[in-house]
Amino acid sequence: MISPRMATGMQEKQYTPSLLNFFIYNPKFGPREGEEEKKILFYHPSDVEKNEKIRNVGLCEAIVQFTRTFCPSKPAKSLHTQKNRQFFFEPEENFWIVMVVRNPMVEKPNKEGKPPTIEYQEEEILDTVYGAVLQQCYSMYKLFNGTFARAMEAGGVELLTQKLEKFFYRYLQTLHLQSCDLLDVFGGISFFPLDKMTYLKIQSFVNRVEESLSLIKYTAFLYNDQLIWSGLEQDDMRILYKYLTTSLFPRHSEPELAGRDSPLRPEVAGNLLHYGRFLTGPSNLKDPEAKFRFPKIFVNTDDSYEELHLIVYKAMSAAVCFMISASEELGREFCEQLDGLVGPQLTLLASDICEQYNINRRVSGPDKEPQFKFIYFNHMNLAEKSTIHMRKTASVSLTSVHPDLMKILGDIHADFVRVDEDEEIIVKAMTDYWVVGKKSDQRELYVILNQKNANLIEVNEEVKRLCATQCIVTRHLNGYTQTLYLALIVSLLWNAII
Amino acid sequence: MAADVHNKAVPWETANGSLAPVERLRQDRCDSPTPGLVEGTEPGAGQDSHMFVHAQSFEDLTADGDDTRAEAAGSENTSRLGEPADEGAQGLPSEEEQVEEKESHPGSRAKEEDVTSEAWRRHRKHVFVLSEAGKPIYSRYGTEEALSSTMGVMMALVSFVEAEKNIIRSIHADGYKVVFLRKSPLVLVGVAQTLQSERDLSRELHYIYYQIISLLTLTQLNHIFQHKQNYDLRRLLAGSEHLTDNLLKLLDRDPGLLLSAVTCLPLSSSVRDVISSSLQAAKAKNLVFSILLAGSHLVTLVRKKDQYLHHMDLHLLFNLVGSSSSFREGEGWTPICLPKFNTAGFFHAHISYLEPGTDLCLILVSTDREDFFNLSDCKHRFLERLRRRTAYQALQEALKNPSYSVSQVGIPELRHFLYKSKSSGLYTSPEFPVPYQSEEEQERIMELYQYLHSRIHHPTRPLRFIYCCGESENLLAWVTSGFELYLCFSPLGTKALAVSAINKLLKWIRKEEDRLFILSPQTY
Repeated sequence: MISPRMATGMQEKQYTPSLLNFFIYNPKFGPREGEEEKKILFYHPSDVEKNEKIRNVGLCEAIVQFTRTFCPSKPAKSLHTQKNRQFFFEPEENFWIVMVVRNPMVEKPNKEGKPPTIEYQEEEILDTVYGAVLQQCYSMYKLFNGTFARAMEAGGVELLTQKLEKFFYRYLQTLHLQSCDLLDVFGGISFFPLDKMTYLKIQSFVNRVEESLSLIKYTAFLYNDQLIWSGLEQDDMRILYKYLTTSLFPRHSEPELAGRDSPLRPEVAGNLLHYGRFLTGPSNLKDPEAKFRFPKIFVNTDDSYEELHLIVYKAMSAAVCFMISASEELGREFCEQLDGLVGPQLTLLASDICEQYNINRRVSGPDKEPQFKFIYFNHMNLAEKSTIHMRKTASVSLTSVHPDLMKILGDIHADFVRVDEDEEIIVKAMTDYWVVGKKSDQRELYVILNQKNANLIEVNEEVKRLCATQCIVTRHLNGYTQTLYLALIVSLLWNAII
Repeated sequence: MAADVHNKAVPWETANGSLAPVERLRQDRCDSPTPGLVEGTEPGAGQDSHMFVHAQSFEDLTADGDDTRAEAAGSENTSRLGEPADEGAQGLPSEEEQVEEKESHPGSRAKEEDVTSEAWRRHRKHVFVLSEAGKPIYSRYGTEEALSSTMGVMMALVSFVEAEKNIIRSIHADGYKVVFLRKSPLVLVGVAQTLQSERDLSRELHYIYYQIISLLTLTQLNHIFQHKQNYDLRRLLAGSEHLTDNLLKLLDRDPGLLLSAVTCLPLSSSVRDVISSSLQAAKAKNLVFSILLAGSHLVTLVRKKDQYLHHMDLHLLFNLVGSSSSFREGEGWTPICLPKFNTAGFFHAHISYLEPGTDLCLILVSTDREDFFNLSDCKHRFLERLRRRTAYQALQEALKNPSYSVSQVGIPELRHFLYKSKSSGLYTSPEFPVPYQSEEEQERIMELYQYLHSRIHHPTRPLRFIYCCGESENLLAWVTSGFELYLCFSPLGTKALAVSAINKLLKWIRKEEDRLFILSPQTY
């Protein structure tokens, strides 16, 4: 007597990969038996029973120690089990971060009374992707908190555990493990394509501001969530960019989209000259209660170890980050000065860029659905471009292709990593899609072709054509470095005039 | 039916030894412009029933339920054939018989190695076998004694994860991986610096596991450990390490184990047919399989009707013959379990070389342990019969060239290839050309094939086709329902050339299939 309704109730349930545990330990902190708990600096979820925490940390220690038998300098990076995968990362000496991800699974209902059968899908998680996610966790922590070692120097284990607790409690909730893919491995930066004139305008704007407000140490300029100019080191910019585009900007985009009269929209009264506003620090300068506290970030942690105020200021689609040494006191006076100087100029600049951008778009013609989709990444300047991903939001990254194809891209990338030479791999998936991966000269290009009946030669021709158009991108990037050089001369001249 | 041209493929699969249509079929096969992509019509496909248990290549090897499936495959026969091994006390003596024999050739195992040295760590592939009590059973490099604490840790890791109702699979680090295989009552661990996938390494560990089963039977192995959990299995396996050593070498170098297929000695079909029928004529009541080998090449295989040999069991037989020189000295008689046929019972194999100084080795597999003289008689009957025929001369001649050069195919950029006919379970491959003649280079190209194989046969993201351009060679793999093809080109070869090479090569194989494959296998 099974009705159709009941039959639908009997359907399989699919579970995506999820975070089981995340913990940080230092094996040196509780070397004696009975003191194992002292090794644990952070443990998620926190309500796990003490003995289980100790057991799980013990397993990781054992695995790492065991692999040193075979290669003392390269211990384990991941452990595969039927139910989950564990990723190990030692960012600083003796500090280990471990992330345990449950394999995706299918729950198949059984006949009445019997518990459902669970089938774990063990081949779905890619080590390269989740290994990169784990490293990103540390980089993000370090950006806002500095290194573990510095915290230990400043306030011992107590301060470190406090910092870890405060940061990871919130951060882990923003990890969306089900939608991680190759782009997380690259952790690249999307650059905004721009003509030379406009680029120079931005460059001289940055110089003028840095000149007038000499407290500013570094500046970064973004438009439409894409980077145009940065004075930071690449690795610092990469993680700051990640923070801006996946956390800060999405949080502030909603009030902007809201209408002018919406209560969500921050007060702009009396500021008719420009659309500039602070994304960090004071939300309204006119508010007498306004607080002038900015988030602190840590850059160049390997050498000069700088702690900086992060000021993010935005006008329309243009956003600028100003970074000022944390030892400086920033108050109302400075913020008003900055608002008065940057606001009007940035508003103008933003509309200039917008206009230019629209002209360029018109020239290149309307986008028609292409026969292919691609991901491009350049290891030298971290430039990345993807036509596979729709806009990345805070919560999910939407891709326009089947997840299995994304995983094949990941597989090909993993093959490239193993061999340190230029390679090309062309595969035809069971769904008849062609996937091409090309690695040459520090650049990687991945193409998915939707021509099911094509043969190898036709696929090759198609990719050649695409590479030719991609060359424009590459040339653009070369042009970009050239422009940098020009910009340097211009700024020198500018300084000379002043 | 005859008029239905498109349905030609159908009768081949069901054709059951009736000779009449074969000639016509052979005609059709040659005529087909592109060799059939359909299983059973590809070059090398047997015309009658196939020789082997129909294996979906390596998937069935690593599938979890493979034991039960293998038993199911031969279940009807198992009861009649394969001597039951659970004779308790009686099982063991037969075992010792075997051990004695093995001890006569301990081989040259240089095992005394410092297991903390850099040289020990640098070995490309370590393999460890241990019991569930953590007792060492086998180590490829270094003595088991020196490694007993390492193996203790391995067992501890396995049981720790099991305590959480979970199963440990593998550990991955930069440049190497550790793969665990739990096959109660044994635990096998591989540590490899190769490019092989986790599944591929697990497949190799399965081989090692079945190698041990082939010496003991699973029934006996279970029996031993049920009685004494911390039994030192090395006592029973003493002297057989060289079999495992040799099998590991084969796994690194022999494409057959990768492809789950066997390669044949190139021989004109008329000669092969004469040899097969001579072998067929030399039958005995309890004889199940007669196998004639030339080195690592199969000359012919005759089997009892309805009995199929699994390619893995055949590889284990190959390994047994290839790793012992004692069979050259006279007629050997050894119990052997063919685990893919039946993990519970022993067969008894009569192994001997046809003549002193030849590579031709005859393996006669019987179900009766008292059959030695019967089988010895079979061998003599076969040899007598064969000697009277001119085919024997032709066979001797063929032995001089057990392989062929890739240049015969006539594609200058093609360096090497593997072609497997899925339905017959046979493959063909030329000898390794100049750039791949050293052992190291051979293992390197095998590693590349292993890489292609694991990508193509990925358990959840299988591919139809893969082409890789590297700096040292260009590789191509293509799998259809009928065949698997792996090609290695010089790095100068273009994609267009690769595409045309596939067609040219398939046509060549079709033309040569009479020589390269066994198209009409025989039964008693």
